[in-house]
Amino acid sequence: MASRVVVREHINGWLFIAPALILLGIFMIYPIIWSLWMSFQTGRGMNFSFGGLANIQRLFADTVFLRALGNTMIFLVVQVPIMIILALLFAVALNDTKLWGRSFFRTAIFLPCVTSLVAYAVLFKSMFSAEGVVNATLVGLGLDPVPWLTDPFWAKVLIIMAITWRWTGYNMIFYLAALQNVDRSIYEAARIDGVPPWARFLYITLPMLKPVILFTTVISTIGTLQLFDEPYNITQGGPSQATLTLSYYIYDLTFRFMPSFGYSATVSWVIVVLVGILTFVQFLVAREGRRA
Amino acid sequence: MRIMFNRRHLIGAALAGVSMLATASAAFAVDVTIWCWDTNFNGAAMKEAAARYNAAHPDVNIIIDDSDTQDNIRQKLQTQLLAGTTEGLPDIVLIQDDQAKKYLLSFPGAFEPIGDTIDMTQFANYKVAAATVDGKSYSLPFDSGVVGFFYRSDYFSEAGFSDADLQNLTWDQLIEIGKTVKEKTGHELFGIDYNEVGWIRMMLNSAGQWYFNPDGTLNLVGNPTFKAALKVYQDIWTNGLAKPVSGWTDFTNSFTSGDVAGVPIGVWIVGTIKANAAADSGKWAVAPVPRLDVEGSINASNWGGSSWYVLASSPTDEKAAALDFLKTVWAGDVDFYQKILVGQGAVGTWLQAREGDAYKSSDEFFGGQPVWQNFSNWLAQVPDVDYGIFTSEVDSAISAQLPTIAQGGDLDAAIEAINAQATQATQ
Repeated sequence: MASRVVVREHINGWLFIAPALILLGIFMIYPIIWSLWMSFQTGRGMNFSFGGLANIQRLFADTVFLRALGNTMIFLVVQVPIMIILALLFAVALNDTKLWGRSFFRTAIFLPCVTSLVAYAVLFKSMFSAEGVVNATLVGLGLDPVPWLTDPFWAKVLIIMAITWRWTGYNMIFYLAALQNVDRSIYEAARIDGVPPWARFLYITLPMLKPVILFTTVISTIGTLQLFDEPYNITQGGPSQATLTLSYYIYDLTFRFMPSFGYSATVSWVIVVLVGILTFVQFLVAREGRRA
Repeated sequence: MRIMFNRRHLIGAALAGVSMLATASAAFAVDVTIWCWDTNFNGAAMKEAAARYNAAHPDVNIIIDDSDTQDNIRQKLQTQLLAGTTEGLPDIVLIQDDQAKKYLLSFPGAFEPIGDTIDMTQFANYKVAAATVDGKSYSLPFDSGVVGFFYRSDYFSEAGFSDADLQNLTWDQLIEIGKTVKEKTGHELFGIDYNEVGWIRMMLNSAGQWYFNPDGTLNLVGNPTFKAALKVYQDIWTNGLAKPVSGWTDFTNSFTSGDVAGVPIGVWIVGTIKANAAADSGKWAVAPVPRLDVEGSINASNWGGSSWYVLASSPTDEKAAALDFLKTVWAGDVDFYQKILVGQGAVGTWLQAREGDAYKSSDEFFGGQPVWQNFSNWLAQVPDVDYGIFTSEVDSAISAQLPTIAQGGDLDAAIEAINAQATQATQ
């Protein structure tokens, strides 16, 4: 009876993953389902009642939500491409074996992502304050000081600079690792055939890195949609709600305002839906490219 | 991308575990746990109170956790109350007055009606009113946010203004004086953060008004006091009397460093000024806060202030100890209030505290002025306001418009925009 062995193996297998599954169920799956149920509740504080689609209707009339959504989208559309391209360029440059001090540069570029979020945010805030190091340098160069923290436009620029600084190195590491796996003989053959460096980058490196680029884009998209720490610590979502993100608005709805847990659960499900849609689109684009 | 291990939390959890072991060893004593923010102010005052209580009641072990920020305390409190777990909640927690009604109404039954045990008429009326719901008072009132106009008298005298010229002004008069000060000394009047709505609230409070009508509806559009407050705010900026700052530290640095000429703010700022501007002792002075040029506005107002709340979920013995502690020290010890006044600049709202010696003393830091006497006089005049339950929502709606207003934007349009956002957010 071979099937008994198979059954026993099945049971063993399930037993091995049971602890992880149970923990995941309690701490991940149950809260997720619960928050979905919550998103249909209305009411203040502990006084819940089922509101049907009331929260979804509220979303469309809520100018602050729409502003937060707009800000988050701006961060996403501007910051993710800049960071991905920078990370790629750094990775390719630092993959060059002839480059002097490349392990130093690798470490230096990677280092920001292991620093504490709050510590670096505080540092950025002081560097970019009205009379901080950055403005002092600008004035020293004969330029006008920039109101980084007090102007709605420049505050957005500052947040984009901050997250780019922190996460470029993180993405670069993925590309560096992937580049190690690219067969050197391909480049050699291309060089012998007289393919110029830019074409080698465009037609060999990029296609080879495509799965990793897709992965980092998805991860970065999710991260930016959940952006909270930097606006909270550097600009407090201001000035004039210019750096208010969806996650920040959820925080406000839950902890600063009259707690409306149902509505904040609805807003957090907006992020989930956005992540789903954007990831799907990114996979689709990648697949289209492969077919061509 | 932002997945990370928060090492601070791990260490925190480990430390909490160790400290629980430590406290468990004091087996028969009652533990009273207290959450508050600001080590140098609330924490220091509470520690002084605990030391005084322990002198007579060594069996009560008072554990004060003042390591967290106000934001984090709200977050922890709210999450736990929502989850319905009382494990891990403190026995006493500090809550800012303008947030109180929101908590009391969102979490009915979560807080102990202290008014049943302690006579509330001993405290300043406006503080008690902030935490009274359906005739029950839930807080032990702590510090006052009575406002004074703190200024550098050396800058003003350089521009030709004596201390007497700064008494009982309107905001418009102060703006005129500020222009001369800027011209003669180069210092702006104030440092202002666009996210800070306290300026508008302070001006409204001086006229006994807040964002709401008595029935709780918004009182923004067509309210002359609100418009007058925004106009003053706008005039301060358009006359070049404000220096833009960002964040609390930047804000306090602007005046403690001597960069700007002054700040109108709650009396609790005294500790910060003395600590960070020690070298300028004697150059500082305090005048009454200016009033709005509208009917009912006076030269007294309030900015901030908080009170102590007892959690209803605490075990019976801890709750009894907590209430007895509050009653014995916070509603019964005149000397205690003198000590925290001198030490922390904490102006209590227990009325008998004003009879103590410290309240009658003068202060060399403020050029020998009888500052505490002045503050108690102003405190008695601060008009009552009802903070309602949606203060934070309206704050947010106003702060969204402040940069536009500061740049000289149309006030009526700004008020309409504020009202629209506030209406949406307060449903």
